[in-house]
Amino acid sequence: MSKADLELHDIELDALFAEARQAVPEPSPEFMARLTAEALAVQPQRRAVVKRGGFWSELWATIGGAPAVAGLAMAGVTGLWLGISPPAAVTDVIWGASVASDELSPYLSFDMALALEEM
Amino acid sequence: MNVAFDAATAESDEALIAAYAAGDARAARALTARFGPRVFSHAYRLLQDRSEAEDVAQEAMLRLWKQAPDWRAGEAKVSTWLYRVTGNLCIDRIRGKRGRASVALDAVAEPEDDAPGAEDRLQMQARFSALETALAALPDRQRQAVVLRHIEGMANPEIAEIMDMSVEAVESLTARGKRALAQALAGRREELGYVES
Repeated sequence: MSKADLELHDIELDALFAEARQAVPEPSPEFMARLTAEALAVQPQRRAVVKRGGFWSELWATIGGAPAVAGLAMAGVTGLWLGISPPAAVTDVIWGASVASDELSPYLSFDMALALEEM
Repeated sequence: MNVAFDAATAESDEALIAAYAAGDARAARALTARFGPRVFSHAYRLLQDRSEAEDVAQEAMLRLWKQAPDWRAGEAKVSTWLYRVTGNLCIDRIRGKRGRASVALDAVAEPEDDAPGAEDRLQMQARFSALETALAALPDRQRQAVVLRHIEGMANPEIAEIMDMSVEAVESLTARGKRALAQALAGRREELGYVES
């Protein structure tokens, strides 16, 4: 018996492989249904869709919304009030250097105090 | 293969994985239809047992679902990754079984019953049985390489990636495996329907 007789010839083996390749083992429909059910069961939940607003709502959110705007409005009103009717202390601080010396005369203040006392 | 399922989408594997991770149920169905049958048939060819092949296929697909949110596009093909996971799971099972008891090589699953005629069916059954028995007798990695190369019909570079070895090592494994099969089947020519010339 030759060595070749002790082995299947390549062509015979290749034919066998080709047949095996054709005979694809099919999964049962039940198994496929089970696989699909499991794929769905362990799937991450659909991500919540973040609804984006338009330009103004984006801007509103960026600057901090209502609390920030309330703070800004308060600062604005305060500024306006200081501009229209500044307290004396503020005026002194602002104008102190340029006020005429007679306006700051202690005598004038003294006279005014006496006059008020006599009333 | 379930054509109705498979025809549902022509999207790339990676796009489907990303859609799956984002919670798209359609992607879950499409990926299962695309890879479920392939994973099952590969497991069946390595284990030669329908029930065990189903277990392995289920586990391999479960690993894919768990991996989906962290899938890094462009690193590995989904099919390559799945064949690797399936092959490893099968080898683990074969080794575990060997540890418990010797494998009954002839206890192969019955072929499908829808062959055209009784005689043809018997002949085919005998041929598959002989091939399966001879394959089962090969060392694990040799069997995996032979199945991937000669039955799944893959190219050596892809097998090398699946088996995490060099192309040369794959060539050597498949050559040795084929030779071992040729020797194992030599005495069964008649059973295989090959008449001596």
